[in-house]
Amino acid sequence: MIKLRLQDVTLGYGQSVVVEGITLEANPGQMLGLVGPNGCGKSTIIKALSYVLAPRSGKVFLDGRDISRIPRRELARLLGVIPQMPLLPSAFTAFEIVLMGRNPHLGLFQYEGRKDMEIAWQAMENTSTQHLSQRRISELSGGEIQGVVIARVLAQQTQAVLLDEPTANLDINRQIEILDLIKGLCLGKGLTVVIALHDLNLAAQYCNRLALINEGRIYAEGSPEDVITADNIRQVYGAGSYIDRHPLSGLPVVLPVAGDSNIKQVDSD
Amino acid sequence: MPPKQARTAPDSRRRNQAVYPRWRKRIYAILGLVALLLLVISFATTVGSVDIPFSTTSSILISKLPFIDITPTWTDAMETIVLEIRLPRVLLAGLVGAALSIAGATYQGLFRNPLADPYLIGVAQGAALGAVIGFLLPVSLLGTSIGLIPVLAFAGALLSIAVVYSLARVGRTMPLTTLILAGVALGALLGAIVAYLALTSGQMVRSILFWLTGSFSLSQWSEVWIVLPIIIIGAAVILLFARSLNIMQFDEEQAQQLGVNVERLKIILLIAATLVTAAAVSFVGIIGFVGIIVPHAVRLIWGPDHRFLLPLSILSGAIFLILADVLARTMAAPSEIPIGVITAIFGAPFFLFLLRRRAKMLF
Repeated sequence: MIKLRLQDVTLGYGQSVVVEGITLEANPGQMLGLVGPNGCGKSTIIKALSYVLAPRSGKVFLDGRDISRIPRRELARLLGVIPQMPLLPSAFTAFEIVLMGRNPHLGLFQYEGRKDMEIAWQAMENTSTQHLSQRRISELSGGEIQGVVIARVLAQQTQAVLLDEPTANLDINRQIEILDLIKGLCLGKGLTVVIALHDLNLAAQYCNRLALINEGRIYAEGSPEDVITADNIRQVYGAGSYIDRHPLSGLPVVLPVAGDSNIKQVDSD
Repeated sequence: MPPKQARTAPDSRRRNQAVYPRWRKRIYAILGLVALLLLVISFATTVGSVDIPFSTTSSILISKLPFIDITPTWTDAMETIVLEIRLPRVLLAGLVGAALSIAGATYQGLFRNPLADPYLIGVAQGAALGAVIGFLLPVSLLGTSIGLIPVLAFAGALLSIAVVYSLARVGRTMPLTTLILAGVALGALLGAIVAYLALTSGQMVRSILFWLTGSFSLSQWSEVWIVLPIIIIGAAVILLFARSLNIMQFDEEQAQQLGVNVERLKIILLIAATLVTAAAVSFVGIIGFVGIIVPHAVRLIWGPDHRFLLPLSILSGAIFLILADVLARTMAAPSEIPIGVITAIFGAPFFLFLLRRRAKMLF
């Protein structure tokens, strides 16, 4: 089981700096949630953790190894990513896409064997996407595609999974299904999970630890109770919300408060 | 445990059905096309101004295979016509068709762009400039057995790609959009120089235009032997990375997250595809349409998996160009129709027919 660590990492694109001097750790069997306003740098941190974006300064470590020194194929056997709104080649069938998750486990001359088929098939069963296996990606809905991508990551059989807004644009039941699945894997198999979520309530319900990011820096870090406080939310997001306890779990929930925003009322004249 | 078995048996069958029938169909297609290619080669060596029956040409070809001994029922002249005049031309047409098709499929896959063809990033214009310079040099320099023009064309193609590549590099990465734009821009510049040199070349203008539109009329065995190893090596390298090309059909970030070293893959495939294209172009000139249409037709019929798409493109491209060349040399015999005209006239309607019927198979 592996431990991920960002050490004093600064990230950016072109001239602009998006994330500045962040130090953060994710541990096996735990879900670390990255929360914060749009553009705060959540997705950028996910990119750095999978080394598709090289840090400007600082280092990313995977079990103490500098991630920039790990070959791509090996890295893909250790760490899988579910990107935000992934682009999939539309002429392949769902099963072919899931089978591509086996890529880092196959050699140059190798074709997917019976074992790979079994793993991919099992991954589709776990994500309730087996009935889609023969359909082409062009025929699937957004929610179905998300399920196929999660199955692909499961077929990859990694020890860490990074997710970038995996539940955006999904219905509430589908959101819960997906997060339950991820949480189950995290607890059952001891996976290290880092998940970027803009929905504070989902983040509070599912994550062991939250990092509240604001303008490229960590504003608060700790348990959901420590991070989702009226004070923190007001400081980072401004006005417009009220913090209460979830009636069943006792975890913090954020409720919208109408008319409490910073927008001035438009005069009707 | 009967309940468990009852569940797993149909389950594994459903699982296997998700892939194996498709694979089997495509493997049969490869075997079928290999047989068809051999048939087309025999047929193409039968067609010509001297009447030699199909059975005789086939026997001549088979008699030259190792371990096979057939007592000749044909004259030496027939053998010379089939083996020394027709066969090298047929084989060169097949090789060039295969080369342009696999290069086209590679570029389309790598750039995830259906409009990509082997000439997309300036190979053709570089080769053309090299060839035109060859035409304009004093004739006394032409003395080697292969001639100077193919060498200059080959060098021109590689040089233009090297320039495009160094222009498109940003630090240690090579954004593909930049690469296409740099290639198109350099291609336009070189094309303009070629046009100017051709128009001011006096009596050479006909030979230059003839080269630019592509022709197999001067094919020889020596050319086959030079082109063959380059195309085999280039195609073998591309085929090795077929699964990586599948993964590249996701965006570049996902491809990296699935274990593909994207920057390395781009360089390897660009070099291999460029070598293959340059080898094809340098002897027979610029033959359009094959490299863009054949891979698409294959994709429409057999789907997007590069592990099948690439070999099927090689075979289909070879068959297509051999047949096109047969038409080019027979339709208006004794004069020849430019091969590019044939590929477009017969290829385009067939492609449009496929496109109408099965567009969803494309990417």
